[in-house]
Amino acid sequence: MFNEVFNKNKPRIAYKDIVSWANSLPYHTLIKKKNEAENLFKKIGITFSVYNNFDSAERLIPFDMFPRVITKLEWMTIQEGVVQRSLAINAFLRDIYNKCEIIKAKKIPAKLVYMNPAYEIKMVGLKVPHNIYSPIIGTDIIRTDSKSFRVLEDNCRTPSGVSYMIENREIMMRMFPELFEKINIEPVENYSSYLLDILKSLAPKKCEGDPKIVILTPGPLNSAYYEHSYLADTMGVELVQGSDLIVEDNITFMRTTQGKQKVDIIYRRIDDDFIDPLSFNETSVIGVPGLFHSYKSGYVNICSAPGSGIADDKAIYTYMPDIIRFYLGEEPKLPSIKTWRCSKAADRKYVLANLEKLVVKEVHGSGGYGMLIGNSATKTKIKSFKIKINNNPDNYIAQPILSLSSVPIFKKDSLTPRHVDLRPFTLLGHRKRRLVPGGLTRVALKEGSLVVNSSQGGGVKDTWVLKN
Amino acid sequence: MLSRTAENLYWTARYIERADSIARLLEVAYRIHLIPNTTEGYQNEWESILAAAGIKHNYLNTNSEITKNKIEYYLLFDPNNSSSVKACIENARNNLKMVRTAVTLEVWNAVNTWYHELSNYDKGKYDSKNLPQILDWIKRQVNLIKGTINNTQLLNDGFDFIYLGIFYERADFTARIIDVKYYILLPSSSYVGTQVDNFQWSIMLRSVSAYRGFKWAYGNSQIDYKKIIDFLILSNMCPRSIFYAVDKIQYHLGRLAQFYQSDNAANRNVKKIHKGFVNSNAEQIIDFGLHEFLTKFIDDMSTTYSDLEEVYFLGTDR
Repeated sequence: MFNEVFNKNKPRIAYKDIVSWANSLPYHTLIKKKNEAENLFKKIGITFSVYNNFDSAERLIPFDMFPRVITKLEWMTIQEGVVQRSLAINAFLRDIYNKCEIIKAKKIPAKLVYMNPAYEIKMVGLKVPHNIYSPIIGTDIIRTDSKSFRVLEDNCRTPSGVSYMIENREIMMRMFPELFEKINIEPVENYSSYLLDILKSLAPKKCEGDPKIVILTPGPLNSAYYEHSYLADTMGVELVQGSDLIVEDNITFMRTTQGKQKVDIIYRRIDDDFIDPLSFNETSVIGVPGLFHSYKSGYVNICSAPGSGIADDKAIYTYMPDIIRFYLGEEPKLPSIKTWRCSKAADRKYVLANLEKLVVKEVHGSGGYGMLIGNSATKTKIKSFKIKINNNPDNYIAQPILSLSSVPIFKKDSLTPRHVDLRPFTLLGHRKRRLVPGGLTRVALKEGSLVVNSSQGGGVKDTWVLKN
Repeated sequence: MLSRTAENLYWTARYIERADSIARLLEVAYRIHLIPNTTEGYQNEWESILAAAGIKHNYLNTNSEITKNKIEYYLLFDPNNSSSVKACIENARNNLKMVRTAVTLEVWNAVNTWYHELSNYDKGKYDSKNLPQILDWIKRQVNLIKGTINNTQLLNDGFDFIYLGIFYERADFTARIIDVKYYILLPSSSYVGTQVDNFQWSIMLRSVSAYRGFKWAYGNSQIDYKKIIDFLILSNMCPRSIFYAVDKIQYHLGRLAQFYQSDNAANRNVKKIHKGFVNSNAEQIIDFGLHEFLTKFIDDMSTTYSDLEEVYFLGTDR
């Protein structure tokens, strides 16, 4: 396991000041600050809801005060890598909904695209404003040794977590201003203005003048509702629910105290399926009837475009290096993780024989659900996965059990290492791209655990990209 | 502004005001409870509180007897009561949560803190001993929230919708409580003007926190019901009077009409109601019949609310 902070019990250079600060904090101060942070989160209302849970009450996301540091050099590698990936993803989406050259070139099996549940047939041949399908991409990155950062997963539908990135920083600055005086840290607060800028550049064909932008949320019960309202607030746009929008003669309006008002760009935080009951899932009550037709007619832009989700599908992930080479003619700057596709006979044979050494994932799963971590699973669970893989091999991929790098958390009065990952957010607009230096560091709070998802006991840390 | 935003702000404010009203009602009952019972009338102050809040029927659906402890619990926390203080606080916060971005962080914090502190008071078995402390806390938080609104909120259309919520609720509450006093609490009309009657009026003044105000306005003269009608219905000085609420509603509707540069039925009809108040005095109201007057008022106001809803909350073209 790579320890990002300590090298044989000695702090690495980038962490020197932070470690001595952490060690100098008396235990009672630590407790006090921890309570203070929790109260701030609670007061501001930074909470999330857990689905499938008996009590529907809001939870606080656990916040650890020991920051995660990324050097300037490391950040440059990450930045180049995620931008490259995001460009490739958008080129891929444009291609598979239009000319399908990558399939004709046999770089990716047709079945994998056309038979994929995330492939949206209604998008075929449709002109998407400025050819940007997925303007906001969150890339999950892990580190396995001192040199390489690797991409674990792409999120190009409605990635969340950016509000934690910003609020974690706010809270750290409020509680430990002395650290910020000593260490030169890149700010993250520009995210909202970057996002506004990017969205504005994506006005649809039939938009005249300054585009009217809204964020579409499923509502306050959604787990990321705080983030939706945070972004609306800091961008100065309306936060709407489906019932606030109406489509008449293919034009999308919102209901206001002054009557109907035209809407041009929707940053939607609703899944594809629920956007429009007339075009997609007809039982959706959180969508807007007729919205997809409005989109097709060029009156409104929906970001991200319906059908973008296919690009972050785990089966497509295994082809990402080929996708990057095909569209950009470059080698991937951030390596992917060795992946076995159970759809291939040879791979499947290896996977079935080595289950206790592998992580098995459902191709379309997310949030850390439906996963097998071989070395810590019970015999029964391994057995049941064997059956599942044999019954539906296309539905599974496997990867080696990677030891994620670690950063310590405050536990009682000492520092103790926990596994982390990193999610930076890339923004792509019409002829512009923006990236806030930093991202969301998620941390598995259970000892030895590799699952960092907040829905499964993960926490967050402030992430510092150093200025020099 | 989104129609839903306007509507959520309006209801947030109504629920905040309602929680305050219930707390004040409970305070009155508590106060009467400490005074030795007189032989006539007002035998069961707790029952009258239920009647005043308009929830006696619902209460009896889930409770077999009327006791102090149960009524307090019912009005404060009972999950069976959809208009308990707890429900009001939750509703206020839920409404505000939907439109967080329409209020300042400080206003949100004030309401959110209120909500989180609720659990400190509503845990374990309800203990009547804590009542004064709970009521103090409710009133203090409401004042804090309103002060925060005044001090930090931008004076835009959202501000008007918040205040419309507060004053629609207050007009309704004051009208109902006067009505209840007159037609439910008093054993029979032959008691009008008696000691019992005047005692009840003074209690009522307290329930709207206007007892001290009344003394200031009328000096130390005997409390009699004409003065009280004048004070609670027609005064432009008493912040709990019906006229005061109507005056504020007219003001905020007028501001909205100007802000949006379009007049509407709600605005016109409230102006008419307002004018009616300016031209009345206590004697005319008594001649007309207090109960009749209040019933008509409540009906008229609810019509203006429908107009308001149509014009601002539905978001269609007009």
